[in-house]
Amino acid sequence: MVENSNSWSDRLWRAFSSMKLGLALLGIIAFVAAIGTLIPQLEQEPEKAKAVGQLWQTMGFTHLYSTVWFSLLLGLLCINLIVCSVQRVNGIYKRTFKLKPPSKLEQIPQKNRMVVQGTFAPLQESVQKVLKQQGYHFVLSDQSNLWSFIAIKRRLGNWGSLITHLSFVVLVLGALLGSILGFKGYFMQGAGSTLPIQSIQLSKGTVSETFSVRINSAEDRLLPNGERDNWYTNMSILENGQEVASDTLSVNHPFVYKGITFYQANFSNGAHFTAAMKGQKIPVILREQGQNYFQAPGTDLYLIATTIMGSSTSGQAGASYQIYKGTGEQPVQSGQLTSGQTIDVQGTYQLTFDGTNGFTGLQVKKDPGVTVIWLGCALLLGGLLLAFYWQPQVISGTLQSEDGIQGNLTVGALSGKVSGNTRKALEQFVSAVTK
Amino acid sequence: MLENLEVTMFYCLVMASTLGMLLYWIWIGSKHEFVGRLATYVTIIALLANTSAIILRMIISGHAPLSNGYEFILTFIWGIMAVYLFAEVRYKLRSLGAFVMPIPFLLLMFIIMSMGPQERIAQAIPPALKSQWLTFHVVTAMLAYGAFATSFGIGIMYLMKWSREQKAEKFQSQGIVSRFPALDILDELSYKVVKFAFPLLTLCIITGAIWADYAWGTYWSWDPKETWSLITWIIYAGYLHARSMYGWRGKRAAWMAVFGFVAVLFTFFGVNYLLPGLHSYAQ
Ligand code: HEM
Repeated sequence: MVENSNSWSDRLWRAFSSMKLGLALLGIIAFVAAIGTLIPQLEQEPEKAKAVGQLWQTMGFTHLYSTVWFSLLLGLLCINLIVCSVQRVNGIYKRTFKLKPPSKLEQIPQKNRMVVQGTFAPLQESVQKVLKQQGYHFVLSDQSNLWSFIAIKRRLGNWGSLITHLSFVVLVLGALLGSILGFKGYFMQGAGSTLPIQSIQLSKGTVSETFSVRINSAEDRLLPNGERDNWYTNMSILENGQEVASDTLSVNHPFVYKGITFYQANFSNGAHFTAAMKGQKIPVILREQGQNYFQAPGTDLYLIATTIMGSSTSGQAGASYQIYKGTGEQPVQSGQLTSGQTIDVQGTYQLTFDGTNGFTGLQVKKDPGVTVIWLGCALLLGGLLLAFYWQPQVISGTLQSEDGIQGNLTVGALSGKVSGNTRKALEQFVSAVTK
Repeated sequence: MLENLEVTMFYCLVMASTLGMLLYWIWIGSKHEFVGRLATYVTIIALLANTSAIILRMIISGHAPLSNGYEFILTFIWGIMAVYLFAEVRYKLRSLGAFVMPIPFLLLMFIIMSMGPQERIAQAIPPALKSQWLTFHVVTAMLAYGAFATSFGIGIMYLMKWSREQKAEKFQSQGIVSRFPALDILDELSYKVVKFAFPLLTLCIITGAIWADYAWGTYWSWDPKETWSLITWIIYAGYLHARSMYGWRGKRAAWMAVFGFVAVLFTFFGVNYLLPGLHSYAQ
């Protein structure tokens, strides 16, 4: 690194290699993120967010985490982390794989040092044997009157913080990939219906795929004790009208097709009726609580379903219905139907309740960045474990002899972050050598 | 039957942990070895009662203890007492009890004062919460938060001892802080505890993300609870860096450990009770 150069790019490089900037950025990101939890966000509370002052909305405070300037902060942190890592990688490499044995006594760490006296040749042998036994990688040097070594154990620990830092960059890249190439949407459909994937409601991105989704069944299953087991949807994927895949999904058990994931998110009861009128049979599907209605052709009679009970809850399926006339506020007719029952509606048509028909609400998502995110998570965790629980131990030593027979072995250990462990490692080594 | 036993265990926990706290206080003032030992034993009893209460609750409800605030707080307290007792035994640091045990005490008082019986009983959990990842999520949170509470206690001890030592030149006696370990030992311990907790907090956030991705297809949605756990994470990352790079040890590190835990508490309570959010099932 050219330290004294003052060219523009060098100065920029130096600014970005500073940890002060990095910590400042982290602090700013934390602060801004906190602000976002105090101001209503469009993603979570659209109504409240729209009530926030116009200036704040324009500046992006109501969709803070997707603003350009928030991304910019993350981007700067990534650059910072990359520059720091690039700067440190060579040093780490040397400290890990290119250790140099000491060439004089003074190079042995002073703080943790021990001296052993004995016979030269056996000591030399014993040192090598013990280093191997205790799992050290070592390098030897044999100069005229100085035999020396340097050894390292758990050397991958040196890479821990570097891996941790780069994992953060990986995470941000994963998120970026997802937001560029992915989409997110939602649809609610009744069992038996088919829907082109292009026609779902999107909240993010665009859909380039062209297949259709057919909902074969949608079910709200309860446990014997009355608690909800789960919502189940059986669906098929149709490419040009041909079924190419099919599966049952439920909450926490999504279904994936060509990188697009379907999540069970919602459920609503519905029912299947037949309206018989002037010799014609019209199929009718209604969702409960009047979420949709049926207007008999040529009349001003409106039919809605209020509650629908599946056969699993109470033995037999049942539906309560109401008929409204024109703009009247009170129903002109209402009642309950059991499966297969037929009634007359205002002398105009015959209504048969055929059975229940579940409506399933599915979240649809394509996020090609997710694998990268999980990779980043694994690196983050692995890096942390290496940095904290796999700390390298370096010991070095020299063996000198005055007369070629007696030897003076001086060993020292480079202290890591936990000094107690260093001392212990040194003592272990020495006691094994002298045994 | 089991329900009654569970409630009994809860009150055993309340009594034992309150008594434990008082005994640690008496011990630190009186220096009776017997009182100190009693404090430890009573706290162990509190932990056992807590364990039984949680296990009984899991048997009754048939799922991990995460259906409501009551269950969350019980696991939080378990984490605090377990990590604390480990630290006490491992590092012979009984005086820490006087500073950590008030936290479970206050949490239990919070349950007693603010949650009626209806809020405490086992509830059915929505399908979205039926996931093994969530169990990992809760276990890691419990241990990480317990450890952060412990480092908070150590931080308070450090700050007390430090300010006493500043004044000690004027007044001869040091009072109770003379029973505390030396400042640099406290500092090192706090660091060790944070080092234990940080990867766990990381794992907690990751398992939460994995679960959220399974449940509704978004690994990160910036809801307030997630955001605050990230902020907590950044504070502790700051602690680790400031320490190794700028030698921010001692007083500054102690303050950061205290602030970090305030962020933990905010993630836990502030988000549920002061801010709205997706994690609303926890309300
Ligand atoms: C994204 C959040 C970050 C995380 C999770 C993180 C994590 C870590 C960890 C776990 C260590 C090892 C600490 C230890 O052994 O005590 C470390 C060290 C370090 N970090 Fe970070 N870091 C982050 C951001 C940064 C930033 C922004 C910078 C500056 C550009 C930075 C610079 C350093 C340096 C220089 C070290 C010392 C490495 C060593 O002692 O070998 N970190 N970091």
